[in-house]
Amino acid sequence: MQQVVSWVSGACVGFVRACAVTVVSMLVPAVWAAAVAWGIWWDAANPWSWVGPLVLVCVGTLALSRPVCRAVRHLVGKWTDTVVPAGYRQAAPVTQLSTGYWWNGHSYERTRRDALMDQRWRNRWKDPATWRDLRFTGIVPFTAGVVAAVVPAGVVVAVLGLGRPDLAPRLVGVLGLAVAVASAPYAWRPVEPVTARFLRPSPAMLLADRVGELTAQRADTTIAQAAEIKRIERDLHDGAQARLVGLGLSLATAEKLMETDPEQARALMREARAGATASLTELRELVRGINPPVLNERGLVDAVRTFAMDSPLETTVDADVRAPLDPPVESALYFGIAELATNAAKHAHATRARITLAQDDTGLVVEVEDDGRGGAEERPGGGLEGLRRRLAVFDGTVEITSPAGGPTRVRMMVPCASL
Amino acid sequence: MRVLVAEDLYLLRDGMVRLIEAYGHEVVATAATGPETLDALLKWRPDVSVVDVRMPPDQSDEGLRAALAARAEVPGLPVLVLSQHVEQLYARELLADGAGGIGYFLKESVFDGDQFIDALERVAGGGTAMDPAVIAKLLAGGAATRRLGGLTEREHAVLALMAEGLSNQAIGQRLFLSDSAISKYTTSMFGKLGITDDEAGNRRVLAVLTYLNSS
Repeated sequence: MQQVVSWVSGACVGFVRACAVTVVSMLVPAVWAAAVAWGIWWDAANPWSWVGPLVLVCVGTLALSRPVCRAVRHLVGKWTDTVVPAGYRQAAPVTQLSTGYWWNGHSYERTRRDALMDQRWRNRWKDPATWRDLRFTGIVPFTAGVVAAVVPAGVVVAVLGLGRPDLAPRLVGVLGLAVAVASAPYAWRPVEPVTARFLRPSPAMLLADRVGELTAQRADTTIAQAAEIKRIERDLHDGAQARLVGLGLSLATAEKLMETDPEQARALMREARAGATASLTELRELVRGINPPVLNERGLVDAVRTFAMDSPLETTVDADVRAPLDPPVESALYFGIAELATNAAKHAHATRARITLAQDDTGLVVEVEDDGRGGAEERPGGGLEGLRRRLAVFDGTVEITSPAGGPTRVRMMVPCASL
Repeated sequence: MRVLVAEDLYLLRDGMVRLIEAYGHEVVATAATGPETLDALLKWRPDVSVVDVRMPPDQSDEGLRAALAARAEVPGLPVLVLSQHVEQLYARELLADGAGGIGYFLKESVFDGDQFIDALERVAGGGTAMDPAVIAKLLAGGAATRRLGGLTEREHAVLALMAEGLSNQAIGQRLFLSDSAISKYTTSMFGKLGITDDEAGNRRVLAVLTYLNSS
């Protein structure tokens, strides 16, 4: 009984999906058919009567190709696990220059509207995705569309056939119904492989995207590096260097006072010693900010354990990392974990945290979970965005789940190839 | 005392040797790399050794590993570990065998010669000597803060000095309190924390550290 129910529901769902695929994929052929009908209606023998239909075919196909592809991609994504990235070229920002003209990345225009229009047409024309979409709208009706159309066609035949009083059409009607019912659960399925095969971005498009991504990352890295060097220079200049100057001064004065006022000389020496201790402490903090010593001496896992011990949160660390990691990856992950744990204590008012490091065949996964009040979100220029950018250099990803009221869980992943 | 100094930077090694000799102790050997340190520790079996954590050939934690390896061979071999930075993790590793005779200090602790030599002698005698920075980190940790919430400020200070390895008498001198006052504080403190006091300094440090470490 249960099997029958599930089969019937499967057939109903399949029927609806097959109809949807038929409608979407047959939209462009319908325009073509309409154009042909129009031409015949005017005068099939006169070549001039085909000019209008020809324009209709061209404009209709061009205008409909992108919406049709969007719809197919959406339906496939909704019904199956296959996610087909769109891969359309992103428009560059349009900016006004000091001359008053607008620059859209390709040309100068007098008004913003012109600039946007020009950009849109250029993008449309040069974007390989446009040509891929056109090809797909030509292919899909004769593959997935034809197969999916069997179901609604069977139903139509059944309705027409069973409405007649004679035996022969009725038999045909019954046959149509049987075909429709039997094929309903399966007929929509070819759309998935067809979409995956013909609608995915071409290697050239993927490479173009990748180049864009890497260029942006390179710029980010350069800026971050420059800022970091500047910070270190400032810290050294205002901290250790200044203190050492003070230390030298104290010692010089003490040397002078040694014979005339030994008591004050001794006080100055004590001061110098305190100054040396203070500058060492400062330098130690600075070094910890650049590269924590334990990370250098023992690697990521022990560095994280040390961090957990020093943290004001009660932090547990579970680590299962076998292979040694690349120092830059270790450093990025360490500072990522430190950032997250600090956020947990400072913003989420958490009392406990849990850090998990696990390595499998696909890469390294680090999870940081706290018992705070949640509500963490990524802001431009914020710490979480910085974390994402630092990991992006290694093709790493960050997933944040932080509902209001907590808990916050952040998952960082770095693929094997980068380790 | 017969002392071994293991340190890769010549200036520091030389300064340390002079400091130790100025206090009337004998430096029997020096070492500049991890393997050399291990060999010297096992060959000379000094009364106490001063070992730097980071040394050649890899500039990672060779010194610490040499000290741990030597102590695995000769349990309780007194070692005072010096480093540019102190970490709870390393402190725990050094204390893990429970044999005593362990010191762990920041390098700048040599600025105060009296206290440094005092710590060195304590370690040579089988005691424990921890840098205040390690103890401060230990007491600031999440679990410790929760557990030590019930202590008064004075008891907290006594606990910190106790964890550094000082005797009741030495704690009294640091805090300007009488011995009897200190034992009063220690009794109430151990009562609150639920651990038994052990007058023998070393085991007491271990008890305190174990208590703080077990979260």
